Amino acid sequence: MKLVWFETVKTFSRWRTYIGFSVIALIVIITEVVMRLSADEILYRMLRSLEKDFLISGNVLNGWFVTAFIMNSLHIHIPFLITLVAGDMVSSEATSGTVRLLLIRPPSRSRIIAAKYITTLFYTAGLVLFLGLLCILLGMTLFGSGDLIIHHYGRFGIIYLEEAEIPVRMLLAFMAAIWSMMTVASIAFLLSTLAENSVGPIIGTMAVVVVFLVIGNFPLDFFRSLKPYLFTTYLTFWQRFLDDPIPWQQIGSAAAILGLHSILLFLIALGVYSRKDIKS
Amino acid sequence: MWFIYVLLLFSAGWAFAQDDAVRYLDALERKYSALKDYTVDVRVHFDMEGFNAPDMQARLYFKPPDKMKVESKKVFFFPKEGGIFNPFMFKKEAFDIRLLEEMTYDNRKAVKLKLYPKDTKKMKQSFVLILDIESHQIREFHTSSEEKEVKGVIEYGKFKEFDLPTRIELHLDLPFKESFEMREFGQPAAVPQRVTGKVEISYSNYRVNSGLRDEMFGSPKKKK
Repeated sequence: MKLVWFETVKTFSRWRTYIGFSVIALIVIITEVVMRLSADEILYRMLRSLEKDFLISGNVLNGWFVTAFIMNSLHIHIPFLITLVAGDMVSSEATSGTVRLLLIRPPSRSRIIAAKYITTLFYTAGLVLFLGLLCILLGMTLFGSGDLIIHHYGRFGIIYLEEAEIPVRMLLAFMAAIWSMMTVASIAFLLSTLAENSVGPIIGTMAVVVVFLVIGNFPLDFFRSLKPYLFTTYLTFWQRFLDDPIPWQQIGSAAAILGLHSILLFLIALGVYSRKDIKS
Repeated sequence: MWFIYVLLLFSAGWAFAQDDAVRYLDALERKYSALKDYTVDVRVHFDMEGFNAPDMQARLYFKPPDKMKVESKKVFFFPKEGGIFNPFMFKKEAFDIRLLEEMTYDNRKAVKLKLYPKDTKKMKQSFVLILDIESHQIREFHTSSEEKEVKGVIEYGKFKEFDLPTRIELHLDLPFKESFEMREFGQPAAVPQRVTGKVEISYSNYRVNSGLRDEMFGSPKKKK
């Protein structure tokens, strides 16, 4: 526990840790202010296909909708901000030359790496929660509350979630988003144990995420058949908490697949770190 | 010569039938001529594929010829066609009217009329109405255009001296084409599809001729 605390203090005393928080704050503030200023245009674009046949009243563009909208837009970009810290977690010791000093002290390598991993997960959770809280608080201030209307692209699909049940669903969605991002953090963490500098793990993780996303989304049968085997397919399983009814089985299997990825990646990182040669 | 007689006989019959059809619409218009406005609470139940929503409630304000307003604390969807009872939309001057059938509907005398709009730029769809000619009520309507079809069945109650709907059941068959340009990476452009299903609307707490002012309906929205 003490080790985790040390690692957390160390991580949060580095300016790099706050890049992610600052970028998120900037993006969310800009997005929500622009959405507020162009609310009419957004509503028109959002509802025009429905407004031909339906009269729609009430606060459709509310804080919950804006939060879901930003979450949908940022799920490809958040991994990059996570890798900034996760990719630096172990490799920074090599870069700064403190790895020998660290490993000759009493705590075992496995305890040190576990502490670093827990700190990585803590940072990941903090970043996603920060995004969620900022989106919701600013969204509620600028747009007010209301029922959440989810419109599926490409087919007539409207999901109407009543205001009373949204907070719980959002909480579950953000927990699922944290779970997803932990897998990305685990990749960056593993690469960090393999590298001697931070740039490699950051670029490497983003390369893996982008390549998997591209492969999984190519509209060709061959790539479609690969999709179930790519972890990126399950990264957006948080969206399922905004479905009605909630597809628990689908959520369970996505969470299990991502969880297994995270555990496996950590175990590999543990193995690599335990055998790491610090003498050369 | 006999051919001309037959032709005259048929054309006279046809002219009488058209006169009757106009009279039925005229009677409907006269029946509601004293209706100056109404306010009603509506409850909408959607039974449509792809439309996953609980029952919705709102207060609806209507003032002839076509002013309407919806007030709802929550997000509210309401079918534009057929959901708002407007007996003033079937003005005899606006349509070419054809009597399709004389019939019995719920053990009462009724007629089936087909209405073709005269100004097809203003109104694109034609209507088929089943009118109860004993009480001058629209019991069923069917609107169709090239793209969409709406069928409705109306049940009435008496509010002051007016017969107003207590329930309308709509059957919708509408086109749906995605217009929200944003889509996720890799998603192909949407294919137009049909939206079908049933909408049940219950009406309660009518307030008739309460003197709704024009200002409360606001100015009509400009189309973008």
